[in-house]
Formats: sequence, structure tokens, C-alpha cells
Amino acid sequence: MEVETVFTILVLCVGFYMAWNIGANDVSNAMGTSVGSGALTLKGAVVLAAILEFSGAFFVGSNVSETMQRGLIDTDMFMTEPIVLIVGMCSALLGTSLWLQIASYFGWPVSTTHAIVGAILGFGGMVGGMEAIQWGETLWILLSWVISPFFSAIISFLVFTILQRKILYAMNPSEATKKLMPLLVFIVFSTFTLSLIFNGLQNLHISFTFGEAVLVALLVGLITGAITYFIMRRVRLPELESHPPSRYTPQTVVSLDKAMKHLQRVQVASFDETHAKVSALLDEVKQLSQKLRQETSFSERTSEYRSVEKMFVYLQILSACFVAFAHGANDVANAIGPVAAVLDIIKNGVVSEFAPIPPWLLAFGGVGIVIGLSTWGWRVIETIGKKITELTPTRGFCAEFGAATTILIASKLGLPISTTHCLVGAVLGIGLARGMRALNLSMLRDIALSWIITIPSSAAMSIILFYIFKAIFIGS
Amino acid sequence: MFNISGLFGKSPFAPLQSHMKKVALCMEKLVSVFEILPDSEMDKIERLVIELSKLEHEADLTKNDIRNHLPKSLFLPIDRAHFLEILSVQDSIADKAEEVGILLTLRPLEKFGNFQKEIQAFFAKNIDVFLNAKRIIEEIDELLESAFGGIEAEKVKTMVEQTAYLEYEAQKMQQKLLKQLFTQGETLSTPAFYMWMRLVEEVGTMSHLSERLANRIRMLLELK
Repeated sequence: MEVETVFTILVLCVGFYMAWNIGANDVSNAMGTSVGSGALTLKGAVVLAAILEFSGAFFVGSNVSETMQRGLIDTDMFMTEPIVLIVGMCSALLGTSLWLQIASYFGWPVSTTHAIVGAILGFGGMVGGMEAIQWGETLWILLSWVISPFFSAIISFLVFTILQRKILYAMNPSEATKKLMPLLVFIVFSTFTLSLIFNGLQNLHISFTFGEAVLVALLVGLITGAITYFIMRRVRLPELESHPPSRYTPQTVVSLDKAMKHLQRVQVASFDETHAKVSALLDEVKQLSQKLRQETSFSERTSEYRSVEKMFVYLQILSACFVAFAHGANDVANAIGPVAAVLDIIKNGVVSEFAPIPPWLLAFGGVGIVIGLSTWGWRVIETIGKKITELTPTRGFCAEFGAATTILIASKLGLPISTTHCLVGAVLGIGLARGMRALNLSMLRDIALSWIITIPSSAAMSIILFYIFKAIFIGS
Repeated sequence: MFNISGLFGKSPFAPLQSHMKKVALCMEKLVSVFEILPDSEMDKIERLVIELSKLEHEADLTKNDIRNHLPKSLFLPIDRAHFLEILSVQDSIADKAEEVGILLTLRPLEKFGNFQKEIQAFFAKNIDVFLNAKRIIEEIDELLESAFGGIEAEKVKTMVEQTAYLEYEAQKMQQKLLKQLFTQGETLSTPAFYMWMRLVEEVGTMSHLSERLANRIRMLLELK
């Protein structure tokens, strides 16, 4: 058998295994929260995740894959002996898989993304020397690893703060939710559509300029927002039905309370006749306030938070899909980036200047992820879902929206980042906005460890494998 | 592998509520002590107070457990010191219940006009204040849901105000009882007089502590 055939089979197998691994382990982050909050059944979560992971990988996966293929190391250095690059990419993939296997056996916090980047850099730097590494791009990627959790933390912090102001702190939370929901749907769908169609549909041979893409995205957002608006108008709130509808809102009661506070101040500061008058007024206002309180069924309204969460369940499903899509777009590259490099050389015999990722390879990666999800990933989703019940739909939505937006932006820029780290950052952002009970900050240490441990280890792994392969296939 | 489930620590608010349940059990025991008080059968009272002490000890254990296992992380929705303060005020209510119980085992209460009846009413008022505070602690779930703001905060504020008002009424009753004791207490022996006095004061402290607990929760609210 020829060396090329051996490598084609090897690289496809290992690439498929990587995709399987990603599907089995990482997808749970996207869907676990929704299953945990009861927004989705396990079956529904798996089906939705499969569809969106695949489309994310297929439509938007090429940007990051190209970075993996030739953004990290200067492939021109290997022009003269392409076989070295083939062997190198293979050992990077295999090294990463081995390292992930070891790490998950010991329960170490590692990220697929960091491992594969470390492995490619490792063999590239070892074989081609320091100048083989594209330092500019590499620094960008390293920087994005640090920035991305913070960025998603900021987004989810902002979104949650808005929800807090407009809904949770409102006097009539469910009415406020009805009003805000179309806007939120508009934002989610616009972002989602924009990321999908701008530079996204080359595989279907449709392309938009940025302006057109923005227009289409806004249009889609407007339509979905309008649909939501009409649905929301039809939603009846089952609570409070036992009471006759009141013409007053709780806000009126609060205003009256404020008036009372000011009257009390006057009462303290006044004398004689004025004092008596103010006291009489105050009594009257007090009685009025009590009457209004009863009429607006003030204290029973807190059950509204439950109906708010019920409405947010749908939004959370949407944002979970958003995360699954973004995850597919970013992480499929970990599996197929190196595969693309190897197959390209084998096909053309040389290291080509420019080779787009073939759509079938993206689909191949997508299928790998989906199979991983359906054979093993659902178990992990179930486990996580049981563990994360603290994340109510409002909070889950904010976390997922923050993370997904960050991941999609990174995917568009061709930066491979860790989905998990983005989600961790987003959840911490909500914690900062006073939305979360107790957060375990040891996770931050794990993130830092993942940065420090994974890169050298997987680099070492890929270097060792490279020399073994070289000895076997190329000779000294 | 590495997923986000590791991010969530155990919330200390559920244990806080279960501690409150233990405190409430102590109070219930004290209520049954007061119920059999007119019969003045000392061994029955003593038996109940021993049970009360056991319950108080259990509450103490829960309290220590919460203190020992409070997450070290920064992200509690409320300040750590503040949380511990709430816990300690809550626990002191159970302590006070035990003290009142033990006081009642020291010697039989002497008859003194219709003082028996009045102190029962005073005690009932104190229990009212406590039950109000307990209801506020039970609202913590909803408070967390609404991030300590909005209509839920308004509701809790009203509850706190109500608790404060009841406590004021209890203080009024205490004043009246003490005055009665000092104007008509000449017929009593010194130990009996002192016993009555201590009883009025100790029972009054229970509403005091309950109101303080309610106000500690009030400080968490984000009101506009």
C-alpha cells in the first residue's frame, strides 16, 4: 500500500474520531442548561443539537478550519518536502486525540481547541524552527483565548442587567416580559441570520455583501419579532384570574407609598394647624394605599415570576440552538482543519498556495459531531442537566446569548476558541450582575490550568509521534 | 472532559431555610410548654423543655454546618458577612426559646392576679412576630428569582413593616405588664417577683430578635 493511501485513511479516521469526541463531550455545554431548566426534553435537545451543530459546521465552519490548516504554521516552509507536512498534521491530530484521552481519564480540565492548536504549533516549531510559526496569527489566537471569556461575560452581564431592570425589577414582570420579548427575539434572530449569511453560504454558492447581509438579517429579525409580538398579545396569563381585573397597577401603589413618605417628612417638620392637617391627610392616604393594595392584589403578584420564566423557556431554547450552531462553526475545525491540509497535499502533490476547505469535508466533520452526540453525548447532556438546575430560563438565556455571540464573532474572524470557556465567562457575568446564587470559582483556576498545561503537553505528544512516523515512513 | 457543570457551587440559602425550620420547631415546643403552664405540673414541663433543648442543639448543629460549608467563592448574591449575620440572628431566636423554657423549669409560677392570662397573650403576640419573620425567610427563593428587586422586594418590604409594627405592639404589652408588676408586685415574694420579671423580659426579646431578622432581610432589597 502506498504511503499516501495509508495517510489518507489514517487522517480521516483520526479526524472522525476527533469530531466524535467533540460531539460526545462539548455539545453538552450548549444543551445541558436547557435540559436542566426543563426547557427541552433530552430527545428534543439531541435532535435540535444535531441539526444545528451540523449546519454550523457546514455553513460557517470553513473560516476557523482555514486558520487551522495554514494560519498557525507557515506551510510555504514545507514546499520542498510536502510529505513532512502530511506526517506532521497526522501526528498533530493523533497527538491531540491521545492527549484528550489521557486528560479525560484523569479528569483534567482540557479543551479540544487548545490541544489541537498546541499540537500543530509543537510539530511546526520543532520541524521548521521558530520562523515556521506564524507568530502574528498565533498571538491573535492566544489573545482571543484570554479575551473571549471576558467578552462573553460582558455581553451576558449587559443582557442580564437589562432584563433585571426591565423585567425582574418591574412592578408587573409578566406584562414587561410580553413587551420586551419581541425585541429580544429580534436581536437573537438578527445576529443569528447575519452570522449565517454573511460569508456563510459559499457552500451553497450564495453570497451577500455586508450591507445586503445586514439588511436581510434585519428583515428576518423584524419578521420573527413581529410574529412574536402577535403571539405575545394572544398569551393569556392564567394567574390572578380569581380576582376581578383592577384598573390600577402596582406601580400606582408604589407611587402612593412615595407620597406617604414625603407627607411623613412634612408631618415631622410642621407645627400646630399644618401638623394636624398633614396628619389627617396622611391617614387618608394610608387608607387609600391599603385599599389599592388589596385591589391590585399586590402581594399575590409575585407568582408572576413563574410565568416570566415560562415565557423565557422558549427564548432559552432559541439561545441554546444559537450556541449549538456557534459551537459547530468553531469546533469542527479542530477535527477537520489538519485533515484538510493533509488531503489537499495528497490530492495535488504539492503544498498549494490557496485551497478552500471542500464542503464534503465540512459535512464529514458535521456528521462526526452528530454521531458523537447521538452515541455518547446525550449521556453527558443528561448529567449536566441534572447538575445545573440553578440556571433559570432568564439566566440561561443571557449566558447562552453572550457565549454564542462571542463564539460566532470568533468563528467569523477565524479564531479557534473554547466554547466552554466562553460559557463559563458568560455565567460568571450573570453572577456579577447578582443573578446567580453560589458560583464555584475554582473553575477559573481550571481555565488557567487548561491554558498552561494543555499546550505544552499536546505539543510534546505531537512531536514524539512525528519522529516515530518519520522513522517509519520517510526513513531518517 | 471539561464542561460547565463544575461552575455551580451549593447554594447556602436552602440550608438557611432548613435552619429556620429547626428554629420554628423550637418555638412550637415552647408553645406547648406555655399551653400546659396553668396546670403547673413541673415534671411535664421539664420533659418538654428537655425536648426543646435537644431541638435547639440540632439547630446549632445545622448552623455550624452552614458556617463550615459556606462557599468560599465571591459570588454569593449577598455579602458573606451579611449572610452569617442573618444566620446568627436566626439562631439566637432558638437560643432565646431554650432560655425561656429553662427559666420555666426553675420554679413553679406563683399565682398573681390575672397575670398568667396576660403573659399568655403577650407570648402569643411574640410568636406572631416570629411567624412573620419566618414567612420572610421563606420568601428568599422568590427574592433570588427576582434578583432582590421588583414587586417581590416591595412585597417583602411590606412584610418587614408589618413585622416591625407587631413588634411595636409587643413592646407596648411588655411595658404594660412591667408597670403592673411594679405597682402591684408588693404581695409577691422576691424570687417570685424576679421570676415574673425575667419571664416578661425574656419573652419580649423573642419579638425583638425576630424584628431584627426581618430588618436584616430588608437590607438586602434593591428598592427604587
